[in-house]
Amino acid sequence: MVLLLVALVSFIIFRYVGNPVDNILGQEATMAQRAALEDALGLNQPIYLQYFDFLVSAVQFEFGNSYRGALPVAELILSRLPATLELAVTSAVLGVFFGITLGIYTAINRGSFISNFILSSSLIGVSLPTFLIGVLLIWIFSVELNWLPSFGRGEVIDLGWWTTGFLTMSGLKSLILPSITLGLYQMTLVMRLTRAEMLEVLKQDYIKLAYSLGLTNKQIYFFHALPNILIPVITIAGLQLGSVIAFAIITETVFQWPGVGLLFINAVYYVDIPVMSAYLLLVGFAFVIINLVVDLTYLIIDPRLRDNQLKSEI
Amino acid sequence: MKALDNLSFNVYPGEILGLVGESGAGKSMTGLAILGLIEAPLSISRGKIIFNRQRIEQNANAVRGSKISMIFQDPLVSLNPLRTIGEQLVETIRTHIKFGRKEAIEYAKSLLEEVGIEQERFDAYPHTFSGGMRQRVVIALALAPKPSLVIADEPTTALDVSVQAQILELLKKLCRERETSIILITHDMGVIAETTDRVAVLYSGTLAEIGRTVEVLNNPQHPYTKGLIEATPRIDANSLNSKLYQIPGVMPDLKEIPVGCPFHKRCPQYIKKCVEIKPPLLNERAACWLLDTENGIL
Repeated sequence: MVLLLVALVSFIIFRYVGNPVDNILGQEATMAQRAALEDALGLNQPIYLQYFDFLVSAVQFEFGNSYRGALPVAELILSRLPATLELAVTSAVLGVFFGITLGIYTAINRGSFISNFILSSSLIGVSLPTFLIGVLLIWIFSVELNWLPSFGRGEVIDLGWWTTGFLTMSGLKSLILPSITLGLYQMTLVMRLTRAEMLEVLKQDYIKLAYSLGLTNKQIYFFHALPNILIPVITIAGLQLGSVIAFAIITETVFQWPGVGLLFINAVYYVDIPVMSAYLLLVGFAFVIINLVVDLTYLIIDPRLRDNQLKSEI
Repeated sequence: MKALDNLSFNVYPGEILGLVGESGAGKSMTGLAILGLIEAPLSISRGKIIFNRQRIEQNANAVRGSKISMIFQDPLVSLNPLRTIGEQLVETIRTHIKFGRKEAIEYAKSLLEEVGIEQERFDAYPHTFSGGMRQRVVIALALAPKPSLVIADEPTTALDVSVQAQILELLKKLCRERETSIILITHDMGVIAETTDRVAVLYSGTLAEIGRTVEVLNNPQHPYTKGLIEATPRIDANSLNSKLYQIPGVMPDLKEIPVGCPFHKRCPQYIKKCVEIKPPLLNERAACWLLDTENGIL
């Protein structure tokens, strides 16, 4: 359902944004040439038929040819997808890992100098726009220190259906700056959420009971408090992973990262409708999948939800 | 501000001491203070807590769980909802007793049996239990490390009346068997009468009266204790349709505890001295100038 709507929106918006015919043929084309092209692209059919065709082919992962490059869109996106996914997953993993760790740390050591320092510097992460962070990182680590590459993916290894930068030195090095840029915001968000939830959970009676039973701090923090904050944290982290994929556009542009986001930006520039709608659909699809996974992890974490699930099935 | 002031009492091995008083009298605070669970901004500024001849007010870690444990008011929120009761029992047991996993599981199951829960429920989650059953689990947890003192903070307040009696009986029986002392915190004089050996009446963070339960209930010395007993609902023919006694006024706010006896503003029998000087515990029984017969108060 969600996907159908996303498909509709992506279809409608791009149907009426710009006219690809102008772009491909230029201003001076004759009417006959234009008509022939419209015919070839299917632009003169009724709208609902165009939408239907769009859906049918989308299900088959068939988005037609890019207007500009005349390559099949599916192929184009697939070739770019690994770069974006590797970047998004790396930054999400970094963000969630450090976010949770620092969140717990600042909750436990409330008011200490280090916690306050972490909290106030996290404001920078929240308030600085992504592209600025990216540019700053490039300036410091690439231009001034010359430690890390400022653009591209480095060398990649082709696994046939997947190209990875994880296996080469230059690939890993290239990954560092973009993933920090992309992950910083997620990290601060997860950190603040973790901290707030942790402070809330530590007030609960079962934590008091655990203390009064003489359990160690480690046991209390990791076995009693942590599991109880996971549901909100995973919800937000999941939503964020979606946005990381979606908003990788900016980071990819700043670092010239050859991913789907960069592809999308170029597509927008040239009003390449099939590429744009395919991209939107892809992002919608990613969101749906992530939410599904998040909902399933709820069931793993919380036995109460598991039992409700069983009851509603009976 | 002082939540507890000049409060002193003993608990003897194997006895059940009741702490009674209105809400805000400092009953729970006393329990938490003993276990060193007082949270900022509050702290223990002065005083001693002595357990087995050792002062523990600065390192309650050493006795928490192993020697002294606590049972809280609301069993619905006292257990971690995401872990089975078995896991929680085994965790507590293995923290304090050098048991292998199997031994700990065996011991946990025997404890469950003792508190009246079938061993098959070992792997059940807390939400599948009723309030009374959960309080039984909490009792098993509190007794698992074999402590010599259990602080029970209103353990039955959140439960049905019929379940209350069962839980109190269970707690009493298990502690008597183990020669474990109990500090039973409650505001219910009925619970005090049925369960405790001695009772300490708290008012505004200080001790109003202390003594053997029978004596205190039959012959209260402090006007506050008298009021509390009067204010306890009774079910008998005489009390039908009669109005329940109320102690006039409310307990003073911590910020404005009056000079002199903290109770004098609500006391029906107060004298001039009560307004001026705070009474000490007299006759090892009650903090009230009315007992000060030697100096001829009247």
